[in-house]
Amino acid sequence: MKIAVCVKQVPDSETRITLAAPGPELDRSGFTRVLNPYDAFAVEEAVRIKERLGADCEITAVTIGPDRAVETLKKDCLAVGCDRAIRVNEPALENAEPLQTAKVLAAVLRRGGYDLILTGKQAIDDDSAQVGPMLAELLDCSQATVVTKLELGQGVFTATCEIEGGAAIVRGSLPAVITCQKGLNEPRLPSLPNIMKAGMKPQETLTCADLGLEIPAARTRITTYSPPPPRAACRMVAADDPAAAARELARLLRDEAKVI
Amino acid sequence: MPNIAVYIEQSGGAAKKVAWQMTAEARRLVDRTGGEVWAVVLGDAAAAAEAGRHGAHRVFTAAGDAFARYDAETWTRALAAFVAARRPDLLLVGATATGKDFAPRLAARLDAACVSDCVGLDFDGGFKLRRPIFAGKCYAEVAVDAPVAVAGVRPNAFPLFAGGGADAPVEGFDPGLGGFAPHASVVETVTSAEKKIELTEAEIIVSGGRGLKEAGNYKLIETLAATMGAAAGASRAIVDAGWVPHSHQVGQTGKTVSPKLYVAVGISGAIQHLAGMSSSKCIVAINKDPNAPIFKAADYGIAADLFEVVPALDEAIRALD
Repeated sequence: MKIAVCVKQVPDSETRITLAAPGPELDRSGFTRVLNPYDAFAVEEAVRIKERLGADCEITAVTIGPDRAVETLKKDCLAVGCDRAIRVNEPALENAEPLQTAKVLAAVLRRGGYDLILTGKQAIDDDSAQVGPMLAELLDCSQATVVTKLELGQGVFTATCEIEGGAAIVRGSLPAVITCQKGLNEPRLPSLPNIMKAGMKPQETLTCADLGLEIPAARTRITTYSPPPPRAACRMVAADDPAAAARELARLLRDEAKVI
Repeated sequence: MPNIAVYIEQSGGAAKKVAWQMTAEARRLVDRTGGEVWAVVLGDAAAAAEAGRHGAHRVFTAAGDAFARYDAETWTRALAAFVAARRPDLLLVGATATGKDFAPRLAARLDAACVSDCVGLDFDGGFKLRRPIFAGKCYAEVAVDAPVAVAGVRPNAFPLFAGGGADAPVEGFDPGLGGFAPHASVVETVTSAEKKIELTEAEIIVSGGRGLKEAGNYKLIETLAATMGAAAGASRAIVDAGWVPHSHQVGQTGKTVSPKLYVAVGISGAIQHLAGMSSSKCIVAINKDPNAPIFKAADYGIAADLFEVVPALDEAIRALD
């Protein structure tokens, strides 16, 4: 079985976004970048499948990103069990929108003949949750999104997908694109020796030209970044007597805020 | 003069709330700019009769056995056929589990612009869509550079249509499926044991955090939530501790929510959590530590022991009626 895992390096979830005024640029200089947390579930799932299937399975980690993305491929993918890595390095795709990303990833994946393509349910920077389903369409294959359980059979899969108030069981044929959600597994941490060894695994760096692809045009453009709407200062309810405080809060919510 | 199509998602024979919120917002926009609102209904046509009242000018329906159970590929093809035939400028899809599943796939098929989780919709020669990014730490205004755009709309971002819509004509369309067979489909849906209100759709959310001290105390949150007709949420800390399942988690690696009222109980307010709930219309914080960052995000606060305040609040709310 050939598995591809598509990953993205993102600012970590503790990142503060400070915008004094609305504008067309975002200051990214202070970002600490990590593997997208949902992609970690995809990497772990691939490694667990390989551990079950044995040598007859190969995992390729794929990313689009500048030189700093090499660290993510090495530490979070190769060092925990991926076999090889492919990185597309195109400055024009820095901050690419999802359809551009999906078109480039699809070009990489078409060369590989993968049975299973795993990725996170969304990246925690643009929160788009688009690349997985787009890849499935571009590759004309099955998809299951926001997956918390995955079972594989001979050429088929059964996935449990998180939906409103419950789960949907999706069954389909391979190849398939699966987007991974927390709950699917517990990602392992890389060990120092494995990080050292990861550098010896095959890594390929490509451009769009290498893929026989023109850099896809963007269909959308962010014109303004703005801070969240400001909030008024918090009104503290005197709390000397908890029961009285609770009654006052209930009254405020009903009569002043009109939300209950 | 943009024409806006709205996909009307149904569940159990009724349209989802977000579907009518979208027709309403689209109508408010085209009333200003010109153009029409088209409701698009797949399969069960029950919702078609109502669409006019919610702001749609026209309704398009496609019938067929293919729509008996959901799959992303059939939905993608049918809606792509609609877009090819009618050429709307924008297609709105609710940012629900189903909408998020097929909308990007549809956009890829159409080579269209695709914008997720919109909370603002404007037109000024071209569409301008407003959406939170980084789970709400920042907002982006997105311009469309394509003849058609598919946009996901967050539930509860827009109010319903108050303009007194009229009956809208209903017309069938050919979804162009022929003998199409999808590679995958939903074979079963499972509802969680207790019929709970889904966080992303809830108007009120009561969330608990580390201040609850132990897993068993989460029932305080569930009790208050039940009293308020609310969904029960949680901070990452108590999800990671295994007290509640991840489906309850509000925050950057959980759910981003924007209810009318968010009650944070025993939650200190890590930036990760604030990111997921700060777009709530009204925020209440109950926390022992008066310096907890949650109070900076809140509209109303009580700095006291949650084990005294929460039961008292439960009682006070019951006493209101």
